[in-house]
Amino acid sequence: MATRDFPIVGDSLALGYRFQRHWNQSMANAFFCGELGAGVFLAAFLYGSVIGMIVGVLITAILKTYFHLSHMGVPERSWRAILRPDRSWISRGAISIVFFTGAAILYIVLGRLGLLGWLGLADSAFGQGLLWLVQLVAVVFAMVVMVYHGFAIADSSSIAFWNTGLMPVSSFSYSFFSGLVVTMNLDPRAGAEAVGMMPPIHSAALIALVLTIIVLAAMLQAANRGAPGARKSLGLLLREGPYVKAFYGLVVLAGLVLPFVLLFAPSSRISDVLILVGVLAGYYTFRSLVFKVGLYDPIISFAPES
Amino acid sequence: MARYGMVFDIRRCIGCNACVVACKQENSLPDGVFFTRTLSEDYGVYPNAGRVYIPTLCNHCEDAPCEKVCPSGATYTREDGIVMVNDALCIGCNSCAVACPYDQRTSLGKDLFEKGLFGQGKITDFEKQGYTRFTPGTVSKCDFCSERVDSGLDPACVVTCPTDARIFGDLDDPESKPSKLIKERGGRPPMPEKNTRPKVYYVT
Amino acid sequence: MATVREHVQNSLKKGKWIRSTCKMCLHSCGTIVHVTDDGIINKVEGDPTNPSNNGKLCPKGNSAIMRHYDPNRIKQPLKRTNPEKGPNVDPKWEPISWDEAYDIVARELKKALDDDPRKILPSLEHFQKMNVWNWPLAFGNQNSFQSGGTMCGGAYHPMNGYIHAAFAVANDALHCNYWINDGTGDGFSSHLHAAAQANWVADARIKRGMRCVTIEPRLSTSAAKSEEWIPIRPATDRHFALGLCHVMVTEGLCDYRFLRKDTNAPYLVGPDGTFVRNADGKIYVWDTESNSARLWDDPTVGVDRLALEGTFQVEGKECKPAFQKFRDIVDKCTPEEMEKVTTVPAATTRRIAREFARAATIGATIDIDGRTLPLRPAAYNYYRGAQGHKHGFQTNHAFKMVNFMVGNIDTPGGLCGVTLDDQWIDKNRIIPGENGMILPQPHQLGPLPPFQYPPSTYHLLNYFPVGLHPPHLNLVVFENPEKYGVDFKPDVMVIGHSNPLWAMQGPREKWFEFMRSMRFIVVCDIIPTETTMWADVILPSHDALESWNMTMIEPPHTEGMCLRQPVVEPLYDTRSEEDIMSELSERLGILDAYNEVINIVSGFHHKPELLLQPGRKYTDREIAERKGLLWNDKPLDWYIEHGHAVTHRRSDKFYRPWEGMRLHFYIEDMVTIPRDLKAKMEEAGVPFRNEWCWDDYQPLPTAVLDPVHSEPPEYDLYGIFFKEIQINFGESLSNPWIKDIVYRDPVHIALILNPKTLEKQGLKSGDIVRVDSPTGRIYGRVGASEGMHPDALGVSNSLSRIKVRHATVAHAGGHFNDLLPYDLGNTDAVTGQPETVCKVKLTKLDDWPEPLKQGLLVYDIVDEYQRPGKVGSH
Repeated sequence: MATRDFPIVGDSLALGYRFQRHWNQSMANAFFCGELGAGVFLAAFLYGSVIGMIVGVLITAILKTYFHLSHMGVPERSWRAILRPDRSWISRGAISIVFFTGAAILYIVLGRLGLLGWLGLADSAFGQGLLWLVQLVAVVFAMVVMVYHGFAIADSSSIAFWNTGLMPVSSFSYSFFSGLVVTMNLDPRAGAEAVGMMPPIHSAALIALVLTIIVLAAMLQAANRGAPGARKSLGLLLREGPYVKAFYGLVVLAGLVLPFVLLFAPSSRISDVLILVGVLAGYYTFRSLVFKVGLYDPIISFAPES
Repeated sequence: MARYGMVFDIRRCIGCNACVVACKQENSLPDGVFFTRTLSEDYGVYPNAGRVYIPTLCNHCEDAPCEKVCPSGATYTREDGIVMVNDALCIGCNSCAVACPYDQRTSLGKDLFEKGLFGQGKITDFEKQGYTRFTPGTVSKCDFCSERVDSGLDPACVVTCPTDARIFGDLDDPESKPSKLIKERGGRPPMPEKNTRPKVYYVT
Repeated sequence: MATVREHVQNSLKKGKWIRSTCKMCLHSCGTIVHVTDDGIINKVEGDPTNPSNNGKLCPKGNSAIMRHYDPNRIKQPLKRTNPEKGPNVDPKWEPISWDEAYDIVARELKKALDDDPRKILPSLEHFQKMNVWNWPLAFGNQNSFQSGGTMCGGAYHPMNGYIHAAFAVANDALHCNYWINDGTGDGFSSHLHAAAQANWVADARIKRGMRCVTIEPRLSTSAAKSEEWIPIRPATDRHFALGLCHVMVTEGLCDYRFLRKDTNAPYLVGPDGTFVRNADGKIYVWDTESNSARLWDDPTVGVDRLALEGTFQVEGKECKPAFQKFRDIVDKCTPEEMEKVTTVPAATTRRIAREFARAATIGATIDIDGRTLPLRPAAYNYYRGAQGHKHGFQTNHAFKMVNFMVGNIDTPGGLCGVTLDDQWIDKNRIIPGENGMILPQPHQLGPLPPFQYPPSTYHLLNYFPVGLHPPHLNLVVFENPEKYGVDFKPDVMVIGHSNPLWAMQGPREKWFEFMRSMRFIVVCDIIPTETTMWADVILPSHDALESWNMTMIEPPHTEGMCLRQPVVEPLYDTRSEEDIMSELSERLGILDAYNEVINIVSGFHHKPELLLQPGRKYTDREIAERKGLLWNDKPLDWYIEHGHAVTHRRSDKFYRPWEGMRLHFYIEDMVTIPRDLKAKMEEAGVPFRNEWCWDDYQPLPTAVLDPVHSEPPEYDLYGIFFKEIQINFGESLSNPWIKDIVYRDPVHIALILNPKTLEKQGLKSGDIVRVDSPTGRIYGRVGASEGMHPDALGVSNSLSRIKVRHATVAHAGGHFNDLLPYDLGNTDAVTGQPETVCKVKLTKLDDWPEPLKQGLLVYDIVDEYQRPGKVGSH
């Protein structure tokens, strides 16, 4: 393992850290939309917001698919992505998308738009059982979609900053938090009061935000104490380089601090919108920066130890 | 069945990158695409400064992460240990590229084949006869010149290296050149802590 | 039945392999070229049957295909229609037929020939085709306007001619155990057959444990691979060498037997610097046994009795053995004194000298091919960086002296002369001279014009009787023709296979004025270059995969002809260089004279049946055929099949071919030639004779400082330039494969300074600077490296192109050579060697100057590589 401090060398022929540029902005967009959509769906589901569920499914099904296809080298063949669920998180994710989207749409249509009633199954045990199953599948796979992106990013040991168990946790916490924020904006009446075991949506959002902050802090700390490549990537976020302003300004201030402050204040339409803008900006920037600051380690060093 | 690997002799390598150009020739690589690179590492403080030249290429890992993460099964390992890409199956998702700790994968973007080696969209006859092997959008990498190896030849980079710094052969044969070098001069693989079990070794 | 899938790797596709010779630099590594059944060249490899490069090729050789298929290649003759000329001016080329092209060129050349043949200024430097290079001799013209070979070899070649009667030198990689490189990359990156020598040297290092030491201001490839890098202040290598000699002389570490027996070191030198001779012209030595002066060939005086030191009286004159004269000089060159000049610690100099002498195993012998030869496996090699200075002759002599001390000249393991082109196998380069010494042969590239005033050459070659060519003096004369008494002004340029606008030293702007003063410029080339921009007519030639040649170019350890044969039919409407020159000669009425020039230059008089006959034009194939027959009596078909006739160097020609004769330890010519030249100048009333640097002529190297060290102190850094294997000895930056690796290489992408120097100058890595020398200015971006002497600014040649009409050549901040002095004061009066180091000062800028902001800069390419943005451009 390299213990010297190597420079970041881009694509030059010097030995050093090389930027990850294979998963570019399209991929970041796809991941963001996938996580966000599933998170919106889950939050909307918990607070009974139909519009939220619909928006969530659409974001995942349409936007994520679009961005994946625009990143994919051979989009005509993208159906092959589902072929290796035994090994590949991409395959697992692709399959999960299918199940999530299908079940979510079914649930919305059957349970929320009244198709079950129209089919005359609303009161039957079969109808209730079907609805329960569909809703279970939708929720479970929504959670899988929320979390699998993080697993995919963290899967290999190649990019040290990504190689942490906290990555899927951050995916989940960020997407759930954003989902709550989107839902409370789309549907101001949803979650105004407690629903079932869920507290009022603003409280839930605050709790989710705190968890997100903790996970993020833990991830940064793990990077700080981790492999040299992780520390190097962290430096690009915190210390110097073209991404520092975006990290502090958008991810931290707009995406975490501003919502935190506003969630404490009495809620209003304006503050909700501000929270939404800040959160989406912060989350999108975070997802993009994770891709941009990913570094490959220097392959092998022969400098004499001294 | 052989188990092919390579040894880089760091004492010999002069960093000329003839290997890089030979590989580009042999494989009709588009502009800016490298299946192998020879890096340089500067160290020390004047006047005790030094520089080492370090050849790199796909390590054809025994435990290849690129193969594990490939969702379509395009990346596979031959019986003789060469890790290959079946570009008829590749969807160009680049998961292999972010999974490779050594960054030895290249995505062959469509624009590369349109721009040409000289830019300006002027595609030379050499490129025309060569580019037909590629599917734009797929990800590719060094394959130890598998076709040449199947014909009993060494990889192009090995053949051209002016200082014989690249040594290719069967790692399972104790009398092969790479096996002997690894034994006699203590070959070590790059980043063993990544647990991919590379079949490329470095000797000093 | 299984179908055979078509191969995708180029070397395996259906086609055939043709043996040929590389042309990506001036040397001649053997190649095999694969051409598909469809006629596309898709792989070039080294020829494994050629014992020179053993199947290896450097990156340039590997990139030959991209020269051949370069879409910017000139596809037919072109005529300029825009009379305005300049580096960024569109010539508005009009394609014309060969007939019309020949008509125009012949007409314009004829005007000059009829008026005054001296008005033609050629730049036809073609090492692989001396028959083309020497075309101007067909009309008695010895002007020259190209600088390939003068910055690196202006003094190097004449000195090799004096000491070895050879063109170049190399350390003997077959036996050497202690290999010193001073200002050269032999065996690692540069000079003689780079890929081949790298192979020999790598084996020597790894299999035999050969130790390498590199002296140079920069951590070059050679320095990086060596066991020891000795950083040195630029333009002080001669002083380091004299310091080494001091140690060996004062500590008695020399091969005294060699000095006594095989050199003129014991010859007695009189007060005027010439040898002491008797009435018959025979030279005296001092016999220590009889304590009397004897003639050098006195059979009763054993070699071991000859004095090397002392002061004696002979025929009323005080005299000393030449060795004593040398000792008088180096006694004062203590390592401590030399350290003040070189910054090399005195202790290092002492240690290296002792290690070197010990490794030389003085007294040891080895049996090779039935001869018992001295074995001296320690050698001091040097080339451009070390030798390219104002006092070039003395500098090269000092390096020779390090080798003389241990007796390794042309000896197994030592510093061996390398001939350029032996022409026929049994040709022995050694010619006996007077008084038992070998005949000095400084004019390795052909005879020089005799003294004449007014001069018959525009670059004053008439006053460099020992020299090579000082082409930079064309500019000196252009600026002040009256001063030099030049009574003609060249106004027609014939340029072929060279790019003087990229290579010459002195500010580009002044050379542009020089070009504008020409009435007619014809350029023969393959791709657009800095020089083709100025042509009135361009005649496109075949490239090296479309033409014939037979050549042997200074291979260090092998000898023999290498065939270049066409692999495909010419892609475009081009002609071979031979066709062009002979057609023009015919139209100019000088064909017979040209054929005779080819005969002489190629050595065909040795086998008269090969002589070119008058009245006929000969093709490149016919000349190649003759050169092959001349070498080993084998016909062209044999060469077509075998590709080459290369064998290891014959040991009787390579090791001590002068056995029984004496080498020029002391170069008496350096006393007699200037005396003679001065007298002639006096008699002819040459107006600049008192400004001539007569002190440059020295029979032994001295510790005089090169004038570059005396520039005003505001110029506080030494500017040096360098290349390395991707870009040396040829143009390769127009090649996309070379561009891919060069602009990603840390040494080729910035003006390099030691980090402490950077700090002292108040600069940071990435700052834009203006670099000023007393002569010119360039711009660039600085970077730091610990591998740089604190006094030096390192400028890679990769940063010296001017934007021309070629897609891949990007403008950098100006050509380093703009900074170099080109005046007589910085030229070696002995050889014409120009100074290749300059003093510079840096000024930080906030931004690039306006002209550089337009268009693509090299630094833009570098930045793009440092920060890849797109998938696939990784």
